[in-house]
Amino acid sequence: MKTFLRILAGLVIIGVVALLAFIFVPVQRTEPAQALAADWEPAEGQGEYVLDAADCVACHTSDDGERLAGGRAIASPMGTIWSTNITPDPETGIGEWSYADFRAAMVDGLEPDGTHLYPAMPYENYRLMSEEDIRALYDYLMTEVEPVSNEVQETELSFPFNLRFGIRAWNWLALTHGPGFTPADVPELQQRGQYLVEGPGHCAACHSPRSKFMSQDGVTADEENFLAGGVIDGWNAPALRGEGSDLAKWSVGEVAAYLATGRNAHSTANGEMGLVVEHSLQKLTDEDVLAMAAFLKGVDGDAVDLPESFAAAGPTSLEAAEADETGSATAEMLASADPDMPLGARLYMDNCIGCHFATGKGAPEMFPELQGNSMVVGSETMPLISVILNGVEVPSTAKRPMSLRMQGYGERLSDDEVAELVTWLRGAWGNDAPAVSPADVAKVREAGEAH
Amino acid sequence: MTDLPGYPSRRNFLKASAAGVALSGLAAQAKAQETTPPVPLEDYDRAYLNADEWAFVMAATARLIPSEGDGPGAIETRVPVFIDLQLAGDYGSADDWYMEGPHVPDAEPARGWQTPLNPAEIYRKAIPVFNAWCEQTHGAAFAELEAETQDAALTALQDGDVALDPEIRDFFSILLANTKEGYFADPQYGGNHEMQSWVYIGFPGARAAYRAWPERHNEKYPLGPVSISGERA
Ligand code: HEC
Ligand code: HEC
Repeated sequence: MKTFLRILAGLVIIGVVALLAFIFVPVQRTEPAQALAADWEPAEGQGEYVLDAADCVACHTSDDGERLAGGRAIASPMGTIWSTNITPDPETGIGEWSYADFRAAMVDGLEPDGTHLYPAMPYENYRLMSEEDIRALYDYLMTEVEPVSNEVQETELSFPFNLRFGIRAWNWLALTHGPGFTPADVPELQQRGQYLVEGPGHCAACHSPRSKFMSQDGVTADEENFLAGGVIDGWNAPALRGEGSDLAKWSVGEVAAYLATGRNAHSTANGEMGLVVEHSLQKLTDEDVLAMAAFLKGVDGDAVDLPESFAAAGPTSLEAAEADETGSATAEMLASADPDMPLGARLYMDNCIGCHFATGKGAPEMFPELQGNSMVVGSETMPLISVILNGVEVPSTAKRPMSLRMQGYGERLSDDEVAELVTWLRGAWGNDAPAVSPADVAKVREAGEAH
Repeated sequence: MTDLPGYPSRRNFLKASAAGVALSGLAAQAKAQETTPPVPLEDYDRAYLNADEWAFVMAATARLIPSEGDGPGAIETRVPVFIDLQLAGDYGSADDWYMEGPHVPDAEPARGWQTPLNPAEIYRKAIPVFNAWCEQTHGAAFAELEAETQDAALTALQDGDVALDPEIRDFFSILLANTKEGYFADPQYGGNHEMQSWVYIGFPGARAAYRAWPERHNEKYPLGPVSISGERA
C-alpha cells in the first residue's frame, strides 16, 4: 500500500513538473529557413505590397480607427479577440520589437516574451512566407508607418481559453508544415500563385475545412483538404477546387476577374470575400492575380489555359447567357407567366426576375448567376436570406469602379414569403439544396444586417 | 378580403406546381395573400376632408367611375381614400409647386395653374358652392340626389354651367383627374384597392420584366399584377 502511494505521489510530481515545464520552459522560436545577406534591402514598395497581399490592414484596423492601430473585434467561437496595434509606437505598438521578435509573431505566433498569440492571427499561413517578404514587411511597418498611440482592449476569453500556454499544445498539432514555402511541381507562374494563396493570401484560413481541434485542415497544396471549402461566421467559403465547385466551371480569366474586381461573368464577392477583394486582392499586379487564378485552376492537376488579359478596360458589352439544358424547364415555366406557378416562383417573378432573369443566369459582371451559385445552394443559408432581407453591396474596385448595390426586400416580403422564395431558389434551374423555414428567416431578420 | 360581384374569386388556391419545381411540399398560394381587410369607407378616419366634403367626394367619384357595369368602381377601389390622403399631403398643400404670385386666376386654362389656392383649398371652397347650386337647382345637396340627377349636375359643373369664381374654376377637371389617379395609382397611396383596376385592364403592375413577351403578339399575358409593396393579385 505504501509503495503504491509513493508511486502515486511520484506520478503526481512528474505530472506537475511536466505541466510547469510546459508552462514555464521557454518556447523555441523557429530558425529562419533561409538567411538573408547582411546588406539585403527590400525592393522599393515591396513591404507595402506584401502588407496588401497579406491583408494585414483588414484585421489590424478598427472601423473608425487609424490604419494598423488595431482594436478590431474578431469574433471566435471562444469569445472576442481584439487585434493589436502594429504601428511602430513604442508603448502601445511594436516600436520596440526587433526583427526576430516580429518574425516570431509571423512564423510561430509568439510575442517577444514568449506569450502565445491566438491563431486568429493567421500565423499558420504566414509561416509559409519567404524571409524576404517578412523582412520587407517589417522594414515597412517600422520605417514607413506613422506610430499611432492606441491602447487596444485586452482580449479576455473565458476559461480555459484564457490560458494562452494551452496554445502551445495546439501548435504542436497545427504547425506541422513550414516554415517557408515548398513549391509544387508546376510552372513558375503557378508556383507564384501557390505562394500567394498559401502564404500571404491565407486563403486556407477560410476556404479549408477545420479539423476537430479547429486548426486548418489543409494549409498547403499537397494536403487533401486544401481549399476544399470551409464555413466562416455563418458563411460558406466555397470549395475552390474539385468537381462541383464553381471554379471547375470558370475559366482562368474569370477566376482572375473575380479576385481583382469582386465580380465576373457568373458571380460577385460578398461578405468577407468582398472585403478580401476590396482591401487586398484588387491591389495586386495583374500578373500576380493571374498567377493565383492559374494556380487554383491547376491545383487538381488539370492543364491551365492562360488568357491574354482579364477584366480589360471598358467599354464592354457582355451578352446575358441563355438558359442551359439543366435550367431550361425553370426558365420556360417563368417565361410562361403561368398564374398557377408555385408561390416561390411567383415571388421570384415579382421581385427578382428583372435583374437575375428567367434563365437564372443574371448579367455578366453585374447581377450574379443564381443557378448553381455557391451562396444559393450552400449549406449555410444565413447569407442568402440576409442578402434578400437586407440587400448587399459589392465593393468598388480599381478596374471596376462601380459598386453594385442590391436593395433589401425585408419590408416587401414576410418571413413566410422569404422562406418560400429561398426554398424555391434552392431547387430552381437544377439547384438541389434543402428547404428553409420561416423560423430560419425570422432568426436572420432579428440579427439584422450581416455585412 | 371581400369578393366583388362579377369578379372571379381571388381565393383560388394553387393547383399542382408547374415544371416540377415545388420543393416545400406545401402547395403555397401564389396568387393572393392573406390581408386584413381595411376599415369600411363609412368608418374611415379622414385625414383632410370634413364630413360634408367626404360625402360629396364619395358620391361624386361613385358617379365618375360607377360600380355597376363593367369593371370595379371608384368605391370598391377606395378612390375617396386616395383623394383624402392626397389632399392631406404634399399634393394638397402644393408643397413643391411654384405658388408665388403674380396670380391671374382668370387666365386662359392653357396657361396652367394660375389660382393662388392649392388643391386642398380648392376642394374646401368649391364643394360648398357646388352643393349650394345643387340645392338651388335640384333641391338637395349633391350627395342626397338620385344618380341620374347627380350625373346631370356633374355635367353642368363640367360644362361651366355652375357659376364658380375664377380661383376655383377648374374644380371639375381637378376632381376628375384625382379620381382617375386614385383608380390607377399604386395601392400604397390608398386607392386602387387590391389592384382591382389593374386586374381589370390587364396591367401587370410593378414587375418590370417581360423579356420573354415582346414578340408574343396577340397572346394574353396571364399573370396578375404586383404592387410596389409586393401585394399580389
Ligand atoms: C485574420 C485577422 C488577422 C490578420 C489578417 C492579421 N492579423 Fe495580426 N493579429 C490578429 C489578432 C487577432 C492578433 C492578436 C492575437 C492575440 O491577442 O493573441 C494579432 C496579433 C499580431 C501581432 C502581435 C502584436 C502584439 O502586440 O502582440 C503582430 C506583430 C501581427 N499580428 C502582425 C500582423 C501582420 C504583419 C499581418 C499581415 C501580414 C497580420 N498581423 C495579419 C489578427 C490578424
Ligand atoms: C476571411 C475569409 C476569406 C478569406 C481569407 C478568403 N476568402 Fe474567398 N471567400 C470567402 C467567402 C465567405 C466566400 C463566399 C462569398 C460569397 O458567397 O459571395 C468566398 C468566395 C470566394 C470565391 C468564389 C467562389 C465561388 O464558388 O463562388 C473565390 C474564387 C475565392 N473566394 C477565392 C479566394 C482566394 C484566392 C483567397 C485568398 C487570396 C480567398 N478567397 C480568401 C471567404 C474568404
